[in-house]
Order: sequence, then structure tokens, then C-alpha cells
Amino acid sequence: MPADDLSILLLTLRAAAIATLLILPPGILAAWHLARRRGAGRTLIETILSLPLVLPPTAVGLLLLEALRRSGPLGRLLDRAGIEILFTWKAVVLATAVMSFPLLVRPARTAFEEIDPRLLAMGRSLGSGPSSVFRRVALPLAWRGILVGTLLAFSRALGEFGATIMIAGSIPGRTQTMALAIFQRTQIGQDASAMRLVGVTVVIAFAAVWTTEILMRRRTQKAAA
Amino acid sequence: MPKTGFALLLPTLLLTLGAADPKPELLVFGAASLTESLQELGKAYEATTGQRVIFSFGASSDLARQIQAGAPADVFFSADTAKMEALEKAGLVRAGDRREFLSNSLVVVVASNSKFRLTTAEDLVNVPRIALADPASVPSGIYAKRWLSGLGLWEKLEPKVVPTLDVRSALAPVENGAIPAAIVYRTDAAIAKSARIAFAVENGPEILYSVAPLAGSKNSKAAGEFVLFLSGPRGRAEFVRRGFTVRGAQ
Repeated sequence: MPADDLSILLLTLRAAAIATLLILPPGILAAWHLARRRGAGRTLIETILSLPLVLPPTAVGLLLLEALRRSGPLGRLLDRAGIEILFTWKAVVLATAVMSFPLLVRPARTAFEEIDPRLLAMGRSLGSGPSSVFRRVALPLAWRGILVGTLLAFSRALGEFGATIMIAGSIPGRTQTMALAIFQRTQIGQDASAMRLVGVTVVIAFAAVWTTEILMRRRTQKAAA
Repeated sequence: MPKTGFALLLPTLLLTLGAADPKPELLVFGAASLTESLQELGKAYEATTGQRVIFSFGASSDLARQIQAGAPADVFFSADTAKMEALEKAGLVRAGDRREFLSNSLVVVVASNSKFRLTTAEDLVNVPRIALADPASVPSGIYAKRWLSGLGLWEKLEPKVVPTLDVRSALAPVENGAIPAAIVYRTDAAIAKSARIAFAVENGPEILYSVAPLAGSKNSKAAGEFVLFLSGPRGRAEFVRRGFTVRGAQ
């Protein structure tokens, strides 16, 4: 693989990995609470958290851009703290994290919901507090769903385009991920070199989806048994 | 256990974290038409000074927008003066820091094997579609629109226009046969492999590039020096070699 392609691949993997790790704690907690709460509030939160799945990615990108731009309140705060996000690799991480979040939460929530409530009750009756029940009963039982969510989120993060180009641009070596490089190379007529990147993404996507499928099948088999 | 998930991700993270910290490179935002010449000059600059220069090329309008939103660029090289003036007004470029010495001209290109015989602007009416960079914002598109408006042809040709992201993405569809004609710079036609100049635009609008170090650069000394290098004899020679016109004596 040419050095350029390799560095694009590493940049993409790095951003996707960091984004996925960042959303794991809040994502798992959100899934856990959504699985246990009932009522209108839950549906509202569920809907809001799922918005990045259905909104055009560019719309999410613009919302982030408005929130972070130097003249905005949040942007000014970050500026004062000396934190640069827009059009740096951190913006790639942020965009992909936001876009991937629902893909982690949904399967994780389902996994938590599938846990037999009696097991949770048993944990409580044995004197465990809520956080202990979560750590020692719920997490071990739901791990496969969480892992599926993690892989889905990671795969989504690898291919994110719309939100990323809005807040991170397409700066070679800094913010240009696989998806952006494919677009940019096609735009300037370098279809062959864009196609090389497409080949790489197909291999990665295949591996990620394959793994997810295998994990999901095991889960359904277990549920059936 | 969820640890398996981390076990999958952590090696990737560790492998790649090494590159997480941006190196003290000079980040130059350049108009798409400058791609080859700036890359060449960046290499030459690094060879003599040891200062690494990296580039982001695109429509000057898009790059200026990114700079206004806070992109950490050190130098901006715009294909027009309007974008630079806007940045100066916004306090992102210091007054007196701009260098304006580079000019270009427009040409109409067709595919090398095109059957269209175009020799004047009026002939463009016979072409079903014309690619040009977005005339609402991108310099080369604005220049093209100005030229055609001056001839009273814009209204007639506008429905045929396919606006593209930048000048290079106007050239690409002509090269691969998707669009029969495009209006680009002479220097873009010079690097085209499967497109040829149908005719050169005469008495077109004045085209003037503008380059400046950015006020917000964390590496402003190096940024200023690179701008001087670009506008100096070595830079000018490279631009002339690529078909640009250079103004004024150094």
C-alpha cells in the first residue's frame, strides 16, 4: 500500500477507535437507564439519542459547527481554554462519535432489556446496590449486545463523511479519513487511487460486519436455547 | 466480558496514538489550481530550511470559510483577492501582510477526443453541459461568470452550468467524458491528461491571487518566511514554469 494510503488508513482507524472508546461509558450508561425506565421521558430521550441515525449527517455537522465556531458561546469557552477542535483531528473524533452513538446504544439497550428481571432482583435481594447490580449482574449478561453495538459504532465511525467534512474539513494528513479521501480523489479525477482506498474499506467493513453477524447469531441461538 | 471489546480496540488505538500529536508542520491552505506548484515549492522549501510544509487544497471560498471557523492554518493562498480581504476584515490576516503577484487566465477545455468544435464563447450554446466551479462562491467560477456576463451570454448559458466544488473538479468530468466542456484556468489545462484547450479566453476578467500568513498562526515566523519564499525568485520561477503569469519585479 502506498505510504499516503497507509497514513490515511491509520488516521481513520485511530479516529474511529478513539471515538468508539469515548462513547462506550456514556453509551452503556444511557442504554442501561433506557432499558430500565418507562414512560414518556424515555421515549423522548430515546428519540433524541437516535436523531443522528436519521438526520442528514451534514445537518448534524452544521449543528456541531454552529455550537463550536469561534464566535459561539461554546467556541469562545474552548478558545479561552486554548482547546482547538474545529478542523483538527479532534473534530473528526467528535463528528464520528456523535454519529456512532445511537448505533452503540440501541443493541446495548436491547441486551439489557433481555436480561431476566428476576436475576436483577436476586442481585438486589442479596444485598447489592444498584451500581453493584449493574456491574456484577447486568454488564456480564449484556456484554455480547454491548460488543455488537461497539462494533457497529466503530464501523460507522470508519465511514462517516457528512458531519466530518462539515467540522473537520478534508486536510490531508490531519483530518482526511478514508471516506473523505475517496471523495476528494474522485473529485479531481484520480479514480484509480480512490478505488484503491475503496478496496481497503471493503476489506475492513467486511471484517467488522462478519464479526458482528457471528456475535449476533450466537446471541439469538443462546436466546432460543 | 466487555473487556473483549476493549481487547479488539485497544491495539488499534495504541498503534495509532503515536501520531495523535500534530507535529510543528506549516499548514498551508491553497487554491486547488496551485496544487502542483505549491507541492513542488513545499518540497524545495523543506529541503533548504528543514521546515516541513503540508497542504490542504480546495476552493479558496471553502478554505476561507474553514479559516473563519477556526481552522489551524498558517498560510492562505487564495485564487482571488476578495476572500483575503474578507479575512483581513475579520482580523484573521494582518493589514500589509498580503502578497499579490500571481495571475492566471481562463480557457475552455474539451475532452481530447471531443467532437465539439468550439472556438468562441458563442459556440458554448451548442454544448449540452458546461462544468465550472460554483459561480456563487469559488473564484474560477466567479471569473467565468464575470467573463460570460460581460459578453451577455450568462443568462443563456446558466441552465447548462454544472457547478463543481473547485476548479479541479470541473476539469475531472471533462477528462473522464462525463461533461463535454469546462471553464478552467490555463494552468489546469496544462496538467490535464485527456482534455485539451478548445480556446483561450481573451479579454477576460482580471485574475489576481493573494497569499498571506494568517494572524492566528502559532508558527507565524515560519509562515511569514514561507510567504516570502513563495513570492521570491524561487517561487516565481516555479509559477512561471507552470504557466502562471507573475507581476511586478521582486
